[in-house]
Amino acid sequence: MKTFLKVALITASLFGLPGGTAQAAPASKVRIALIVESTVDDKGWCQSMHDAILSVQKKHGVALVEYSHSEKMKPVDAGSAARQYASKGFDIIICHGAQYNNLVTEMAGIFPNTTFAYGTSANIGPKNVFTYTPYSEETGYLNGIIAGMVTRTQKIGNVGPVDGGDSARYTRGFMLGVKAANPNATVRVAFTGSFGDFVKAGELAQTQLKDGADVLTGSAQQAIGALRAVASVPGHVYWVGQDTAQLGIPEGSKVIAAAGYNYAAVVESLIAKRAAGIKGGESLPLQFANGGFSFVFNAKMDPKVLTPAIRKAVEQAKADLTSGKLKIDWKSIKL
Amino acid sequence: MNPEVMIYNVLSLAVPFSVAILLAALGENFNQRAGVFNLGCDGIMCMGAFVGFMLPYSLKAGPLAPYGNLLGVMGALAAGALLGLLFALVTVTFRASQGIAGIGLQMLGWGLSGTLFRHFVGGVTGVEGILAMPIPYLSRIPFLGGVLFNHTPLAYVAFLLVPASWFLLYKTPWGLKVRAVGTHPRAADTMGISVDRTRYQALMLGGAMAGLAGAYLSLCQARMFSDDLVAGRGFIAVALVYFGRWSPLGILGGALLFSIAQSFQLSMQVWGIKFPYEFAVMLPYVLVIVVLALARKARQLGPTELGKPYNREMRF
Repeated sequence: MKTFLKVALITASLFGLPGGTAQAAPASKVRIALIVESTVDDKGWCQSMHDAILSVQKKHGVALVEYSHSEKMKPVDAGSAARQYASKGFDIIICHGAQYNNLVTEMAGIFPNTTFAYGTSANIGPKNVFTYTPYSEETGYLNGIIAGMVTRTQKIGNVGPVDGGDSARYTRGFMLGVKAANPNATVRVAFTGSFGDFVKAGELAQTQLKDGADVLTGSAQQAIGALRAVASVPGHVYWVGQDTAQLGIPEGSKVIAAAGYNYAAVVESLIAKRAAGIKGGESLPLQFANGGFSFVFNAKMDPKVLTPAIRKAVEQAKADLTSGKLKIDWKSIKL
Repeated sequence: MNPEVMIYNVLSLAVPFSVAILLAALGENFNQRAGVFNLGCDGIMCMGAFVGFMLPYSLKAGPLAPYGNLLGVMGALAAGALLGLLFALVTVTFRASQGIAGIGLQMLGWGLSGTLFRHFVGGVTGVEGILAMPIPYLSRIPFLGGVLFNHTPLAYVAFLLVPASWFLLYKTPWGLKVRAVGTHPRAADTMGISVDRTRYQALMLGGAMAGLAGAYLSLCQARMFSDDLVAGRGFIAVALVYFGRWSPLGILGGALLFSIAQSFQLSMQVWGIKFPYEFAVMLPYVLVIVVLALARKARQLGPTELGKPYNREMRF
């Protein structure tokens, strides 16, 4: 029976992220730890990974998947947390952010039997380190199509944290989406320089709105501050989001649609690959094609804003992304 | 875009951006005038932001909902004053190092507000907050109306507190006491002024104003709370006191200059001006450092006993 399960897991790992979505239950208990710089309820980057691990735990049961997390871990503090988890025998330690790169590389050498993972990164690291990369240009592209079709002022605003990692991909995909849907519209790209300064994100959104932008988007946890600024403006001013949690808050009435990371696929893949004896040395992509993203329209949005034409255009693009017919050349955009 | 519109946009956004740091810096000015610098200003702002948010959030479904914002503001003032009192106890009565105690207070305020928020609220969520209240007639004045008279009530309060602070410091007996205990506490003591009591009062007032600054962030600007909401603005406020040469009017100038630089750098990005954004976001902070560096003589205008605990039994 055990051999059969191992075979099943190896098969599942082969179909891991860059393939199917079928995942077998772990053969034995897996202990997963998550280290994040923000909090697990930030309605953004950190919450998406936390929710994914919880969903995997719920699916396989607490008896098979043990989960623990540490919040507000700056890279300098995260080392002790990672060391504690590894010493306690946790199998997989996910450090959710590219800023943990050096820490993970150091810890991987000290604890060779522990699987470490961090992202966004496409680095192929040590043998016990996985990286993961959301191809966020795909979700940005879909949101860009919506923004391009909804704008009346032909001015669209982007409230980014920094021009790097996930944000850089999302922003450029968004610009390409706008261009595809409405070549006359301009995207005003600006950055706050911070992932967590909600007030500054709000200030930047106000600046965008004052300049005439009527559709805004933004990434990282700070985006909630920008969404708050959008929600305080009545009339034809809308938001397209990078986290589906934004749809469920009071300001969600201004959110036309939101994309979501499905990190469950990454977590499942990490479990399966480890069970198959692969402790790292790979980079796992998140794409529509492998179920790494979800995209949700706001069901309560005015159909005069979210028109059938917009839904159709987005669904078509999503289908093309999933089938591989559409490739987003995000690196072609130079800011 | 029309240059006049560009200037209007920068200025009309700079005014609300300046309010939180202006309030906190005016409060910190009372602290420093009394001879105590409070690096915990940032932590007090965190607690003020939390209490300011928490009261309207928790009262929103009850009969007190219409008074939620007012109670939030009052609660923030009270929380700030209490933390100011705590700081006074540590630095005035126990004569602890002001710098270290301030850093401790900053961590306490930041950590406590975040912990309480997680316990009582959970994830990031918003409140209706305090909306803009354009002043009738004045807000319709071309250009100036939108820049100066189309803001939240707390913004008007902040700007009115500038002359009020000046009056309190320079035209009242209490203000004279505050300046005396910050400049020559032994002489003030000899004249029958209680140095400790005056410093306690100044620190409580400064704390209350820092609490109000936090409430402005959570109720007027972001209309939400998160434990990173204040994001170091309390430290900017402390720097602004030096920048403004311990004068309410100078602090107002510093707060506006910083906010105009902030608004300008954000606008510059939005206008699509080719300039590395990494440098743009640094601009307001670089400006503060440059002005502080160039104003070397400003230190001579400051309270001479700033940062020194007073012990009437000690003779030097």
